[in-house]
Amino acid sequence: MKRRLSRRRFVARTAVAAGAVAAGLHLPAMVSAAAEGWGDLTGRFLYDGTPPERRKLTVDKDIECCGKFDIRDESLMVGPDGGLANVFVYVRSRGVEICPELEASVEKDVLLDNRDCIFIPHCMTIWYEKQQYYVVNSDPVAQNVAFTPLGDVPVNKIIPVGGEFRHQFGRKQTLPVKVACNYHPWESAYVLPLDHPYAAVSAADGTFTIPKLPAGDLEFQVWHEKIGYLDTPQWTGGRFEMTIQPGTNDLGTVKIDPAWLVES
Amino acid sequence: MGRVSRVLFVCSAALLAGCSFSEPPEFRSNTEGFEPDEITPAQREEIAFPLKKLFGTPDEPAVPDGVGLDLALLQMAAGPIRSDIEGNPSGVYRQHCVACHGISGDGTGPCAEMLNPYPRDFRRGVFKYTSTYASSATQGKPVWEDLDRILRRGMPGTSMPSFETLSDREIGALIEYVKYLSVRGQTEAQLVDYVVRAGQRRLEMDLVLDEVDFFAGHWTRAAKSLVDPAEAERHAPAIDTAEQLAASIDRGYELYLSENARCYTCHGPNGEGDGEQAGLSADGEPSVLYDDWNKAKKGATPEETRKRAARFRLPIQPLRPRDFTTATFRGGGEPIDIYWRIHVGIQGTPMPASGTAGTTPGVLAPEQIWDVVNYVRSRARW
Repeated sequence: MKRRLSRRRFVARTAVAAGAVAAGLHLPAMVSAAAEGWGDLTGRFLYDGTPPERRKLTVDKDIECCGKFDIRDESLMVGPDGGLANVFVYVRSRGVEICPELEASVEKDVLLDNRDCIFIPHCMTIWYEKQQYYVVNSDPVAQNVAFTPLGDVPVNKIIPVGGEFRHQFGRKQTLPVKVACNYHPWESAYVLPLDHPYAAVSAADGTFTIPKLPAGDLEFQVWHEKIGYLDTPQWTGGRFEMTIQPGTNDLGTVKIDPAWLVES
Repeated sequence: MGRVSRVLFVCSAALLAGCSFSEPPEFRSNTEGFEPDEITPAQREEIAFPLKKLFGTPDEPAVPDGVGLDLALLQMAAGPIRSDIEGNPSGVYRQHCVACHGISGDGTGPCAEMLNPYPRDFRRGVFKYTSTYASSATQGKPVWEDLDRILRRGMPGTSMPSFETLSDREIGALIEYVKYLSVRGQTEAQLVDYVVRAGQRRLEMDLVLDEVDFFAGHWTRAAKSLVDPAEAERHAPAIDTAEQLAASIDRGYELYLSENARCYTCHGPNGEGDGEQAGLSADGEPSVLYDDWNKAKKGATPEETRKRAARFRLPIQPLRPRDFTTATFRGGGEPIDIYWRIHVGIQGTPMPASGTAGTTPGVLAPEQIWDVVNYVRSRARW
């Protein structure tokens, strides 16, 4: 079916043409990151308090296999030195230029492993146009992976022992998608499909790195499963702006007040 | 004016004064799952404006370009209940559907809260009983025949009645209107996501049109994911003797208990819907399953569930795996109906797909699915 040329695309093409004309006329051109360079963003989230003990989850299915693991709630993971893990940090600005090196080197598969009766990793991001969600069952029992991304095809697949499948997300999401297992209801994971690679999930020690961002003003979004958008006194709606310089850009240690992770 | 006519005049004036014509109904905004103050009036307006422009109102539907819906059928379904001088009905949706499915197709009509299961909320674009599998091209949208089947047969074990007595054209109008409500609903959900979750202030009409095209396209392509019944039936084992049937049932039961299909985990060791997924869990708490519409109301703790569920119109309602001994199947009890349930799964529920989806192999081959069908049907206790 022929698509009529949408007004948005018409405007976009005109803008490119205008930019070319502007450059020729030595008028201020649109910022081109290739001219200015690429920078990394690093940072660390610190849970400023004593975290509660992680609740033991009810493991009442496939007990012979899963009962031997100490399966605990993963919704608030704080490392021994206070690092807050599983914080999503991702670029919110639209139409960001993507570093060609990243495009060339991106991993085709992003692995979600069913192992020891949980999903590993608990949180991840995926560049949906370039990467596939590679789901594997490393457990000795059949597993199920079920998720319903908004406006995208729902998935509810049985993965036999030793089985695997690949899934292509069809669109980006505003919020991370919750992944569940219908056989083992305690299992959960989050995956955030985006239309760019500029996203990270903080590690066990709270640190994160987003490499090779385009230099310039960018807006970032921060999300954590306990609260959703990580709304803080400095970050309204969990958003912050930063001017990325070529080289390293350090957000520093961000202290997270435990109260910020509790719904009022 | 004569005395009689004066009296008549006063009486009719009094009657008409009391006869206030009500406002035409509007579609209800889909703000479920949010606290009322989470969405500003400006945001509501930003979402409502393009929807009204593109889809019209419950009385006067509109069809965006390229969506492939028949406006004449929509007009027959929409609007107040009326008929023309020849008796051709209009307002068919309002006449037959609104009491349960609501004016917006959100499954919260006045009768809904008394019903178990709740009437379908079409706005998610998810339909449980389809002959199509979920692929990225179609997202598991039903084909025309799936909706026709539901309307003509109703859904046994639910309050969805048969509308077989309606004319073909009326049924066609209702199918078209359900599609319309679904495309509109999914578009709205995306707009809510852009405006409320992603915080976009302005919605460009082209963005909205892209979303409309996206969701309408799944309906147009739905047949691409069809599990063709004739093709499926070709794989059915020959059942000419009682021994052959018994053998098929035995094979089916073995598959039912096999580790790869795991039907027993929800449907129980004997198909009575009492699998460990649906029964009591080890700590004595009821282990409950939910469909997607109700899963949205569920939190990690009972306290959280209470808070979340309060943001929705209808209380949370659990889902029970089917008890085959009742021989009552909501999607129909014909062999092919049960075949489809196993092959494509039941969208929006924990029931997974076991059959092939395009090029992706399933855990069960068609012959095996037929054996399981025979086992399931053999459980009937009249």
